[in-house]
Amino acid sequence: MFRSCLSLTRRTALGLAATALLSMTALSQPARAEDAKGFVTHFGSALVDIINSNKSLTEKKQEVLPLLQQNVDIATIGKFCLGRYWRTATPEQQTHYLKLFHQVLVNAVTDKIGDYKGVSFRVTGTSSSPNGELVSAQIMRPGQPTADMQLLIAHDGGMKIVDMIGEGTSLRLTQRQDYSSYLARNGGNVATLIKALERQLSHHH
Amino acid sequence: MSAPLGDSDSRPEAGSTVRTETKRRELRPGQRPGSRVLVGRLLIGSTVLLSLGACASWRNPPPKDPEALADYKEANDPYEPVNRKMYGIQMWAYHNALRPVGKAWAWAVPKPIRNSIDNLNQTWYMPTVFFSDVGAGKPRRAGDDFMRYVINMTLGAAGFIDVATSLGYPHHDSDPGLTLASWGVPSGPYLFLPGLGPNTFRDAGGYAIAQGLSPINYVPRGYGLLTFNWAYNIAGVLGGFSSHIDEIDQVEQDSLDPYAFIRSAWQQNRASQVESLRNDHRATVPDWYN
Repeated sequence: MFRSCLSLTRRTALGLAATALLSMTALSQPARAEDAKGFVTHFGSALVDIINSNKSLTEKKQEVLPLLQQNVDIATIGKFCLGRYWRTATPEQQTHYLKLFHQVLVNAVTDKIGDYKGVSFRVTGTSSSPNGELVSAQIMRPGQPTADMQLLIAHDGGMKIVDMIGEGTSLRLTQRQDYSSYLARNGGNVATLIKALERQLSHHH
Repeated sequence: MSAPLGDSDSRPEAGSTVRTETKRRELRPGQRPGSRVLVGRLLIGSTVLLSLGACASWRNPPPKDPEALADYKEANDPYEPVNRKMYGIQMWAYHNALRPVGKAWAWAVPKPIRNSIDNLNQTWYMPTVFFSDVGAGKPRRAGDDFMRYVINMTLGAAGFIDVATSLGYPHHDSDPGLTLASWGVPSGPYLFLPGLGPNTFRDAGGYAIAQGLSPINYVPRGYGLLTFNWAYNIAGVLGGFSSHIDEIDQVEQDSLDPYAFIRSAWQQNRASQVESLRNDHRATVPDWYN
């Protein structure tokens, strides 16, 4: 009797603990979504403010740079884009590659700045994915159809953007296919990729 | 995220609609100039591809290394050697003819006129979109297509002006390839067809069906209409093309392997189109009714 009573209380305690845990995760889920939403709203309006300002293109590019460095996890994206070749690369190659990738990504964003004016932006919703929170947003440009996009926000060590999805296309996945295909066709040596990225950056204007 | 496959009630009837249309197309082989051009393009592309594909050396064998195999499966491109050749032909044509002509078109034709031509193309493609949505068992989407067609063909001056969007019937993309996907037809390997671009076996089949569903391909013969049909097709191709020149240039500049970049981006975009078609469970009643 005593034993069954004990096991009952133990079970109850376990049950309670489990319920508490579940409700905690259930509570933290929307909280996370809200955080991610707020993060994207903040980042998006800061970016849109720069784009819509009357400053010169060079000034705009200079202002966007720290914004990207603070809010985008460029190293994680770079690692992802190298895929299975990340492990075959030497530590020096990894560092060198990430340095180049950083510039490639920044160029890809800043190249687009000049194209737009009178841009507005709003967050439309969030959903959870195994890799983080997916925040959906719409970008409105004058005389152009509304563009739907999603930003993937990871949580490890502060919130950061780890992917951008436009028209169902993940930028980091596409980039990984690009790099891995290039590597597979060029002997699989990361040094070749590094040379190619250097060449690409030197041709950039 | 992914919805179950069997989410449609009207599939059998819808399927027979598509089949009837296809049969109609088959019964009149090569009678209509527009369809002859477009189906011909597809036939040339696939014939070349299949005859090349018959050679074992044109097919990439699956790699032994498990990680390389994972990449191979992700790319879904066993005919890569042939596809790359086709891509090479397409890009040669792009740099030597399509790009300069497209640039000239965008320079010579004012933006409002180019927009009208885009609208015209979109509206005249509407029956295909409509039948695709009916086939996929999506009444709300099909209803939107129908209203778009009727409104733009009348108020929109035969399709030159897009009135329907402002009246609450926005455009969405749909094609028979997506319908086949919604039925659970697997995509099959990736294909790059000159003139048509990124494709799969399923979507190439869908393209052939789309030609059968386009009313423009059934207009009666006659010199005036023949001229109009050619003008319509050429202007449509140029219009659709010239607005993408900057994007193509950017891909060529920013990626190390543009072929792989385009393949990946297209496949993902296509998968998301299939997904949004499957997940569209909106009610049939229009918004103003609620």
